[in-house]
Amino acid sequence: MLWWAAFFIVPLGSIVYYSLGVKPADPGAGPVDLSVLSLANYAKAMSDVFFTVFKITMRTAGLGTIACALVGFPVAYALARYIQPRWKPVLLFLLVLPFWISFLLRTFAWRIILAPEGVLSHFLQDIGLLAGPLTMLDTNAAVQLGIVYNYLPLMVLPMFVALDRIDPSLIQGSMDLGAGPIRTFLSVTLPLALPGVLGGLVLTFILASGDYVVPAILGGAKGLMIGNLVATQILAAQNLPLGSAMAVLLILMIGSIVILAAIAIFILRRLLKLLAGPALDDLGDDRGISAAAPGARAAGKA
Amino acid sequence: MASDVRLERVTKNFGSFKAVDDVSLHIEAGEFMSILGSSGAGKSTVLRMIGGFELPDAGKITIGGRDVTYLPPYRRDVNTVFQSYALFPHMTVAENVAYGLRQDHVPRGERTARVRDALDMVQLLHLAHRKPSQLSGGQQQRVALARALVKRPSVLLLDEPLGALDRKLRQQMQVELKLLQHRLELTFVFVTHDQEEALAMSDRIAVMRDGRIEQIGSPAELYDEPRTAYVAGFIGTQNFFSGTTEGADLAALRDDSGLLVRAERRAAGVAANARSIAAVRPENVRLSVSEPAADDNRLRGRVVTIVMLGDALEYVVSTEQGREYFARVPRYTDNLPKEGDPVWIAWPVSRTTLFPFEDIELQAQRISHERAAPAGDGSAAGGSASGAA
Repeated sequence: MLWWAAFFIVPLGSIVYYSLGVKPADPGAGPVDLSVLSLANYAKAMSDVFFTVFKITMRTAGLGTIACALVGFPVAYALARYIQPRWKPVLLFLLVLPFWISFLLRTFAWRIILAPEGVLSHFLQDIGLLAGPLTMLDTNAAVQLGIVYNYLPLMVLPMFVALDRIDPSLIQGSMDLGAGPIRTFLSVTLPLALPGVLGGLVLTFILASGDYVVPAILGGAKGLMIGNLVATQILAAQNLPLGSAMAVLLILMIGSIVILAAIAIFILRRLLKLLAGPALDDLGDDRGISAAAPGARAAGKA
Repeated sequence: MASDVRLERVTKNFGSFKAVDDVSLHIEAGEFMSILGSSGAGKSTVLRMIGGFELPDAGKITIGGRDVTYLPPYRRDVNTVFQSYALFPHMTVAENVAYGLRQDHVPRGERTARVRDALDMVQLLHLAHRKPSQLSGGQQQRVALARALVKRPSVLLLDEPLGALDRKLRQQMQVELKLLQHRLELTFVFVTHDQEEALAMSDRIAVMRDGRIEQIGSPAELYDEPRTAYVAGFIGTQNFFSGTTEGADLAALRDDSGLLVRAERRAAGVAANARSIAAVRPENVRLSVSEPAADDNRLRGRVVTIVMLGDALEYVVSTEQGREYFARVPRYTDNLPKEGDPVWIAWPVSRTTLFPFEDIELQAQRISHERAAPAGDGSAAGGSASGAA
């Protein structure tokens, strides 16, 4: 509880508090002037630029999350289902191995790979897939790639844990009852893995939306994301209150998107259940039998 | 309708391990067949091949005359009650039972009616809307049974379904399963390592050992006429005497301690002057303070301990050489010897059987080790065999 208060409530609270102040006229007076609290920063933050960049951010993070899921789920599935138990730790280790290298360095490495005169560019030109040099660097596409690369393990890990915990006999039970591989996947594997899948999606989406390193390194001027906007306000323009207001807006908007997605999933599941129809019609009067002890009835019948 | 199941020369290897070795088995329609064996004997692999969860490396499996050897589980007219029950945790009891009917696209009205009937059959209708995690082990077992039977399979496969239940519940379920099988006239293939369970429920039992079928027969046949010392020791309890046969008529064995054990019964494969095993069941062994008649096999010893079995007492009698033998005595007998008393034990020649030699001690260790873990009963069989060999 204390840990949670110290590392979550306090920083978040101070950001919210700062966002209500103004940038002091005298730079020597400290970062924020909190003598008059107002919501003026929020009005200023909701500019056209903010919304344009926000849209790009959501698209980049959203597409990145989907791409991570599309690549990550099969990886997690194969790891959980088809790899022998003794090899699993080894492969998981390899999966998180890139994390041992600084996030910054890993991302920077892509600048070398994606450079117009780089190896990949030459290779693609040699095999005839590309007419001119590779122009991906310093665009949103490069940011997209960087995000998928950096967040893929974060998607795979929770999915793997969820899939690995499914008892193989449940899959066999489903097949035994007449369900083929696809039906088994949709009715048993996916619902049971859902917490891990959602966890991976939310984790990747939230972290990707707030990312600032990848767009800063790979995006150039065209690949700006909301994180860069906040950073610019705080670091370059020295306007901590406006930057804080943007950060709070970002938190609120991402929060609403996640909540909306959760509601959509809930409704979808209800709908699917309704479409499938009940397993058993309402028991009506039969519910009364719950009063009788099942053991006694069983013994009497035996 | 019940179907027969036929295995023809089926073999299954896991790497270099021969799990099932050239097994042929015919399970008749409507029969309650148990496959009995210790762990690693291949009994579960046989069941899993009938269910379609393992594919044989060689051989053929037919169900109701139809070749199913390489069909996936969802194309076979059999259903399985799994050892772990394999209930879907994200579905209610009713949804679990309805699952198989949904796969067959049974229309709603019929589906709900059949789910209700199936749950009623296992007396769990009142718990239909619970999740499996909210049920006791015995109730989960019944749900698994209902879920498999609601599809009206022609063969029901049961993989040690009672293993996780406590003794009382297990005995009750044994009776219920047997009654159910009679009522539904279904073919049941029941895998177990518990010989008591197999004896109590089966029409026939196939005893497996090291991937092969050692003997098939009715419970009475296996109990009264085991073909090998292994089966003799596995089914029920035995006193064993290892030694060498004496005389050309194969009617006696000279035990390693020098005792002459005469035997009127003899399994196939016993040779003259060859290492062999004589066996007698504790219920055929009598206990007396005075010297018994010389017509019987007999030996002297001292009562080491007395095990209370409810309606009977099992006396453990130790000879001077330290070998232990078991005698089962009705409880309400006059002048029963006490612990430490010198006694005679005697048993009729007509109840003594000779078997070709095999390492009973080794087998017994495997069996008792196996039984000690899940069941907790039947340890007398293992103890007796290891003590007397």
